[in-house]
Amino acid sequence: MFFKSLDLTTALRPLLLPDETLLFVQDAVGLYEGKYKIPNFQNGHAYLTSHRVCYVAAEDPRNYSVGIDLKEIDRADYQAGFLKSSPKITIYPKPQKNKSDKLRSANASPAVSQSTLQPVKPLSPRPQSAAPYQSPSPKPVNATWICPICSFSNPVPSNFDTTTASATTPIPPCLACGIKPPFTTVLKAAISAATGSATSRDLPLPTMKPVPVENSTVTKNASWTDPLGNGSVSCHRCTFVNHPSLIECEMCGAPLISAPTSNSGFDASRADSPAPFFDQTRVTNTEVTESIKLSFRAGGEKTFHERLKGALIQRKWLLHNAPPVPPPSQTSSSTTATTALESPQPAPRAAVGIAGLEQRGLEARMNNQLVIGNAFEDLEALMASAKQIVALAETLARESGMASNEGSAETNAVLSESAAALGMVTTKDMLSSGSENLYLSELSRNLAEYLTDDRKGILQREGGIMSLIDLWAVFNRSRNGVELVSPSDFERAAELWEKLKLPVRLRRFKSGLLVVQRYDWSDDKTVRQLLEWMDELRVFPPEEPVPWDWREVGRAVTAQEAAQRFKWSVGVAAEELEMAEDRGALCREEGIEGLRFWTNRL
Amino acid sequence: MATTTPAPFPFPATYNFPPFFTPQPNTNTRHSQLQKWSSLIQAWCRHHRQYRLSLIEAIDTPLFHNSQLRKRLDLREARAVIDWMAKSESQGGDGRAEWIEAPGNQAPKTVAWIWWRRPEEWADVIADWVEGTGQRGVVLTVYELIQGDASASQEFHGMDNDAMLKALNVLVKRGKAQVFGGEGQEGVKFF
Repeated sequence: MFFKSLDLTTALRPLLLPDETLLFVQDAVGLYEGKYKIPNFQNGHAYLTSHRVCYVAAEDPRNYSVGIDLKEIDRADYQAGFLKSSPKITIYPKPQKNKSDKLRSANASPAVSQSTLQPVKPLSPRPQSAAPYQSPSPKPVNATWICPICSFSNPVPSNFDTTTASATTPIPPCLACGIKPPFTTVLKAAISAATGSATSRDLPLPTMKPVPVENSTVTKNASWTDPLGNGSVSCHRCTFVNHPSLIECEMCGAPLISAPTSNSGFDASRADSPAPFFDQTRVTNTEVTESIKLSFRAGGEKTFHERLKGALIQRKWLLHNAPPVPPPSQTSSSTTATTALESPQPAPRAAVGIAGLEQRGLEARMNNQLVIGNAFEDLEALMASAKQIVALAETLARESGMASNEGSAETNAVLSESAAALGMVTTKDMLSSGSENLYLSELSRNLAEYLTDDRKGILQREGGIMSLIDLWAVFNRSRNGVELVSPSDFERAAELWEKLKLPVRLRRFKSGLLVVQRYDWSDDKTVRQLLEWMDELRVFPPEEPVPWDWREVGRAVTAQEAAQRFKWSVGVAAEELEMAEDRGALCREEGIEGLRFWTNRL
Repeated sequence: MATTTPAPFPFPATYNFPPFFTPQPNTNTRHSQLQKWSSLIQAWCRHHRQYRLSLIEAIDTPLFHNSQLRKRLDLREARAVIDWMAKSESQGGDGRAEWIEAPGNQAPKTVAWIWWRRPEEWADVIADWVEGTGQRGVVLTVYELIQGDASASQEFHGMDNDAMLKALNVLVKRGKAQVFGGEGQEGVKFF
């Protein structure tokens, strides 16, 4: 079981995999490894998703966030609180394949004790070359493998596990040329991604170069050192003994590191090899040997435990068979969700003509029937398959809409697409009942993500600023009438943006109008924009002669003109102009034509 | 009383700036706007040798009415400007005007002194003149001071009688002059 580094969204929540769903969130959670607290991981949010357990620290979340794949979890035990001890959930990793390794590391809780127990003496006269382990991919966290045929960088499937994968594990073909890669290529990429991120991040001690990952991975250490202890490496294919710094066999050219040899011979040597070290404050990509504990200091442990058990039973990650689409739409797209929900299909039968079409239709109907049938079996199942149902309802709605009239079909499509993109991730149901604050902060993050999502470009479309009421309407519309947010919750969530350091902020105009803006957008910038515009107006002579000196003072603008120019709504434009006036950049002229604004020359 | 001189009054650039005629809500802008109005009114009065400004009469003059822009300052706004001018500097005004409270006047705040020179400043001018012409200890009537040939080259020549008395009173307070005589017959002695 590994602590994996997390990719966070703009709102500092874990970036979900294509068909991953958020199940539960709890704040004020601390992390333990074995019996020991992990420094800097003592106050944060625990996110339970269908695939992972994630921890995101409240302070400095970019540095202190980790995730653990559910598939590596054996079981989770609940431990009630006692006196000052908070209730905890202990998570036990699945037993490792390599028994001797497990024995060796079983009694060593964190790495400190390990390094004291283990004699630190490298077998080879010089440290192992780190070269093969430095990540070849530009993104160390998201592993990519390079197709040997067309050299296209493909993502390593998220369900590809270096510990359990073998030559028989199905590997998706290259996305560009469609040729299946050799197993070792993918494995190598996955390992180097895992170790690469670790080596690049946490290794304060020069003696501990390439070994942040333990030897639980059979294949990883396979031909690292040879059993003789002289540092040279024997090729698994031709058994030629190579110099340790080579990555490929001198004789036959076979890759040296990823050769899957039998592990039995190496246990002895590994026992004597330098003990893995990890910086205590950084646990990313380190292995959990014994167990980890989540300490719930503000409650919520029961629900968390319940849902964790549920998720462990459901094993959603197994459904994820198809290779994920390459990153651009990584958070949640309903299309991949719907394709992924179908259990592994055999290769499509060759059916052509009308018979083929009919057959396809039949299959689709069968599938729909299955989904609907499953979903309504009981409420739990409905929750679990909510996404599929929504997707199904969408397609049905789209079809019916198209049949009736064009206009509504279009709006329907837009609406349902946005609902799908939104992912309906934050619901009250996901959170324990009493924690109103947590609901708000999650809603707040959810909103921030919704706003900053470049695919929808909500803010850009509105010229970088929109009123809170408009946003509320759009947001609730995109939820398709499910889990609507009340105006008061919405406002309170929006007020939390500043506190949570999210990339959007709420601004109150003088008149009390509340608007939403990018975090780094300030009034100064708006004023500068306005003044630049005013300066432009001074360049062109007015259409009809005016009594004033237009070269000097330019001409007046109205709120309507400003709204047009900056794509603001008129209300926002009026407020922005008055704000600029308030700052002394503009001044007003009231006349029979209405209110107009000038560069301040007074 | 507007002694119109043939030379046209040179209006400042802001006079042709349309927002100049709209009261600005922003305090800073408003302050600067009032200052500009104040200096315009002072310049206008100095140009026309005017010491009192009657709003009712002035409201239709080019001072408050820009016919080119078709913009005007209405009576209420003009009054606000004079109000601001009447406040002393410590109160946020510039102390360049003073409302004339006529006892029988039913409509207050219609006529005001416009002090393009404050009484204190007039007092200095007069004292300098007296000093420069060696008239210390000389007794002069106020009429002589205003209309006499001796003061013909001076700025205070042809000054409003009441304004002159205000200036002289300042000198009296400073102990540099003494005013005596009855209404309309005042004489003044400089020390």
